[in-house]
Amino acid sequence: MEIVVCVKPVPEAESRLRANASGTAPDTDGVKFVLAGYDESAVEQALLLRQAVPGSKVHAVSLGPPSRTDEVLRAALALGSDSATAAESDAPPMADPIATARGLATAIAARGPCDLLLFGKQAGDDEEGLVGGATAEALGLPFVGFVVDLRFDAAASRLRFRRSVERGEESWESPLPLAVGLQQAWNDPRTATLPAILRSRKAPLARHAAGPGAAVAAASVAERFALPPPRQGAKMIAYRDPQQAASQLVRLLREEAKVFP
Amino acid sequence: MVDFSLSPEAESLRDLARKFARTEMAPHAAECDRTPRFPEEIYRKAHALGLMNLNVPSEYGGSGLGLFDQCLIVEELAYACAGMTTSIIANCLALEPILLGGTPEQRSRFLSPFCASYQLASFCLTEPSGGSDAGALRTRARRDGDAYVLDGEKCFITNAPHAGLYTVFATVDPTLRHRGVTAFVVPRSAEGITPGKDEEKMGHRASSTSTVRFDKVRVPVSDRLLADGEGFGLAMRTLDQTRTPIGALATGIGQAALDHAARYALKRETFGKPIAEHQAIQIKLANMTQAVRAARLLTWQAAWTIDRGEKGTLESSVAKCFASDAALLVADEAIQTFGGYGYMKEYPVEKLLRDAKLTQIYEGANEIQRTVIARELLRGYA
Repeated sequence: MEIVVCVKPVPEAESRLRANASGTAPDTDGVKFVLAGYDESAVEQALLLRQAVPGSKVHAVSLGPPSRTDEVLRAALALGSDSATAAESDAPPMADPIATARGLATAIAARGPCDLLLFGKQAGDDEEGLVGGATAEALGLPFVGFVVDLRFDAAASRLRFRRSVERGEESWESPLPLAVGLQQAWNDPRTATLPAILRSRKAPLARHAAGPGAAVAAASVAERFALPPPRQGAKMIAYRDPQQAASQLVRLLREEAKVFP
Repeated sequence: MVDFSLSPEAESLRDLARKFARTEMAPHAAECDRTPRFPEEIYRKAHALGLMNLNVPSEYGGSGLGLFDQCLIVEELAYACAGMTTSIIANCLALEPILLGGTPEQRSRFLSPFCASYQLASFCLTEPSGGSDAGALRTRARRDGDAYVLDGEKCFITNAPHAGLYTVFATVDPTLRHRGVTAFVVPRSAEGITPGKDEEKMGHRASSTSTVRFDKVRVPVSDRLLADGEGFGLAMRTLDQTRTPIGALATGIGQAALDHAARYALKRETFGKPIAEHQAIQIKLANMTQAVRAARLLTWQAAWTIDRGEKGTLESSVAKCFASDAALLVADEAIQTFGGYGYMKEYPVEKLLRDAKLTQIYEGANEIQRTVIARELLRGYA
């Protein structure tokens, strides 16, 4: 089974993001881009399937400029991916998801056969969750999101998996090829070992030009990027007698927070 | 030109160590210190990830890192728990004499099993009657046919109760002083070895330290490193390699103390404002910052010098001595920043002071480091 995993470089969780000078995107100067938790789960799922289905290969693909994609692809290699492909694009981070999907689809099609296409359920930064479905659409593959516990039934030549939905869980089966968005961390992603990290530094990265050009022309453009306003400080009510504290709380809820008329 | 930025490879190694330190070590640091407990499950995980045996070349299955990369890793581990770090890096110290003095056959026989599966080794140099004066050691090695018979006692030996292998320094003739010192590799299974009970220590309580007695322990000549009388030089060359990571370990303690103090200073209010806005606290934080950064840079410089193939005796002594003194100062100031809370075991900073103290003593007491520094310095003026 040829398994392709799309991995997105996202700002490290501890990064302190600011808006750029034009106020349309985050300023990425000095920001470190890493493999997102959702995508780690997808890589882990790919590695588990490869272990279960002899002869399988895992290929990581990431879109963006080398300054963002390369470290993420090396992280995927260190975890155990067999190959890594950079879909080179000068698109800014958190760019238009349809353009990203088209760029990824071009690179995936050019890379070689793909029986199973995996994504994290959504990106760790903008949390849009659009690229998986859109890439599947561009490649003409069916797509299922919010999946856990993907297994391959070799006898029936079908994938079996579960899907978290609002009131419970669905059980699915599907033939190949298929594109899947995976829930985060249900599979406790492994940590790359030190020797694997050292090996990944020397592994070659395949490069595929995913832009510029019509394939990655943005369908939408971000007009404004701003951080949420800072949280207002909590108001502490000095506590002497409970009745007095309660009536003061009710007064504040009514007059300041305006939650009651 | 000098470049202080880390390569992407170095950064990825540091990130691995940071992740391991913060998710696997830090949550257990307080408990292992209080109990005390030797968290072998954490050391097994460190081994599985390749964070042990950092100095063993990859041909024997080790990580084969240079000293600079080792230092990046050690600082991150020590940030979470200095005691666990001491136990994790004790293999590097114990195996270094085999790396430096072993024949290819000895290296492959002794080093490969350590990388293939989790196992601990102990470096046995110090004795009850003397640590710094290593030429005066009393453990005897008497030649008997194609073997030696070891008799004596070692003390303050890291990981000794849990170790499967000991690198032991003994003398073939005490009257020869350092010219009689000879090095041996001794498996725990050899008859006549008795590790003592765990010492109750002030700090580094997640690590295990004990005496080791050798009673008529037979060691075949094939397990001797180098020749008779070449053990002292081998011990010194070993410590030249392992001294610098102690600078990194101390830097990790200092950075942890600084981070705790700065965060607390922003939160804790007195006289109507956070104490970080009082100049008295700002001066402390500024001094702590200088000490930690200087310790790191001196450590990096020593590691860089040795990685270039130079001996780096002066540089590594300066790094170890300065960084350990800095760690004690910074931990002390962190406690003062916390005030009464800093003195309480419920808060994390008093442990840092106890842990920092050992870095001034082990792997060459700072008095010895200063002797070495002065000797190396004056050589340039003579």
